[in-house]
Amino acid sequence: MNYTVKATAEELSELEALSPDLFRKIPEEEKNSEFIASESTTYFADVWRRLTSNKLTVVGMVILLLVLLLAIFGPMFSGYTYDQQDFTTRNAMPSMQHIFGTDKFGRDIFTRVAYGARISMTIGFSAAAINLIIGIIYGGIAGYTGGRTDLLMMRFVDILYAIPSTMYVILIMVVLGANMYSVLAGICISSWVGMARMVRSQVLTLKQQEFAMAAKVLGASRSRILFKHLIVNSMGPIIVNFTFMVPSAIFTEAYLSFIGVGISAPMASWGTLAQDARPLLDSYPIQMVWPVAAICITMFALNFVGDGLTDALDPKKR
Amino acid sequence: MAENILEVNNLCKYFDVTSGAFAPKQVLKAVDNVSFSVQKGETFGVVGESGCGKTTLGRTIVRLYSPTSGSIRFKGEEIASVKREKDFMKHRKSLQMIFQDPYASLNPRMTVGEIIGEPMTIHRMYSASERRDRVVDLLKTVGLNPDHISRFPHEFSGGQRQRIGIARTLALDPEFIICDEPISALDVSIQAQIINLLEQLQQERGISYIFIAHDISMVKHISQSIGVMYLGNIVETGNCNEIYHNPMHPYTQALLSAVPIPDPDVAKSKSRIHLTGELPSPLNPPSGCPFRTRCPHAKEICSECKPELKQVGGRKVACHLVG
Repeated sequence: MNYTVKATAEELSELEALSPDLFRKIPEEEKNSEFIASESTTYFADVWRRLTSNKLTVVGMVILLLVLLLAIFGPMFSGYTYDQQDFTTRNAMPSMQHIFGTDKFGRDIFTRVAYGARISMTIGFSAAAINLIIGIIYGGIAGYTGGRTDLLMMRFVDILYAIPSTMYVILIMVVLGANMYSVLAGICISSWVGMARMVRSQVLTLKQQEFAMAAKVLGASRSRILFKHLIVNSMGPIIVNFTFMVPSAIFTEAYLSFIGVGISAPMASWGTLAQDARPLLDSYPIQMVWPVAAICITMFALNFVGDGLTDALDPKKR
Repeated sequence: MAENILEVNNLCKYFDVTSGAFAPKQVLKAVDNVSFSVQKGETFGVVGESGCGKTTLGRTIVRLYSPTSGSIRFKGEEIASVKREKDFMKHRKSLQMIFQDPYASLNPRMTVGEIIGEPMTIHRMYSASERRDRVVDLLKTVGLNPDHISRFPHEFSGGQRQRIGIARTLALDPEFIICDEPISALDVSIQAQIINLLEQLQQERGISYIFIAHDISMVKHISQSIGVMYLGNIVETGNCNEIYHNPMHPYTQALLSAVPIPDPDVAKSKSRIHLTGELPSPLNPPSGCPFRTRCPHAKEICSECKPELKQVGGRKVACHLVG
């Protein structure tokens, strides 16, 4: 079959009308002017951009920063110490001297709330960090090894999970005494299992992916495959889990202190402050407001950040 | 005659399948008594429909799965019985694999440079700056722009990603590559580019391939000899051209009759063999010949005993009705 395409007379005359001076060479700097590509961004730069585009998350991050500043610098600038008693000004209302007022021993409540923020934040972040490390290693090994090891490791987790965590904490308090470290130990001993389960499930699905197999064929060692390929790819859910673990640890500490098995006097955490204010709730309700407000605001802030991170790290929402 | 780089004899890979804690254990024979050999610098094609054990065969040879029984001899050394990963390390460099899904086979959190450089890091080859030079060279070899070295996999198309995957395997200078359906996830136009790249690499570097695919015409194009798989068994194996022009096993005949012909006049005159029924479950394979349930020529003997691979002329066929 032969096809011939004949130009019409009009088209031919159009072609002939094109003279060489209608053409020019593209200057060197314009050669790439039609190149279309978005700037290559790293993963975390992209996450940060999406995180900061969420208003609530930004609010949460700002509040969190303020609480952290309060915790670090508050006790230094208030002019009082957390255990300094002054019987001349007991149960004072907020004033210029004591902006949050004083408690039944005349201690400055602002200093005590700021000091409580220190303890709550320390417990919150260190509990979450300890859970993170134990959870990643334990869950990663269980998920990656699989088989009988996985079965045994996860049954142990189930057993830990089945016993109410308050029980451990009370037992630990009895043995180690009521201080910050035993609260921390009590919170950590049961709450890392959530992280371990999550990491395990992530690793279980990711290890079936071809990139994990490719790494094995290339000769990568087990720990390299686990940490460089599998854990790195489950970093999104891990970070989200971490941000939700901080408020839950803070709340657990507050609740333990409130029921009287947490931090002991004269140290202050938000939970003990609320507990101290409880008998005076009828006469001086304002003393209850400060620690409860501090807990609520911090919880909200951390949850906003957690929600924002969930969205920002979700690959489907890119 | 060239030497055989890979000899597989009676290779079996069975999986234990349990549907519950108290359910009886079932055995899935994914690869059953498979034997073939690959000559140095040649391509051995493996064809068969989905679920016939092609991928399992490939993964067993690179020891992603440990074989149930049988022997695999690579460059004259037995590798099927190697138990520890450490003892297998020396073969890892020369025995490589290209994966099916270019979207899943690259770690999404690593840049192209890191992905291609990783095998060299693992095997402690070259210094850091030499590695970088080699990554650039490899990118050029597979036809990618070396400026893209710090980009992430999601910034590339499917064909480009498959090229990155090929560059990663080439980083170790392998002598043998198992291509596990490297083109089935790609567009037809891109498929040809990848096939040409693989052929060009074979000519330049003398690499031997096992080429796994379900498209027999593509396998015919690239391979010197082929094996046709059905339910974990090789039913016909031998020289590619002989089998393509004169298939003996009824399953091979059916596969070949399904190849589309780009000429309507010829296609009309050709009779197609329509296989009836489903692929039987590999958990409960038919007695005797595995193909008898769908075979248009099945006789009584086919259900009684399983046909062995018999030498028929220059090839081997597993069918009672042939030879």
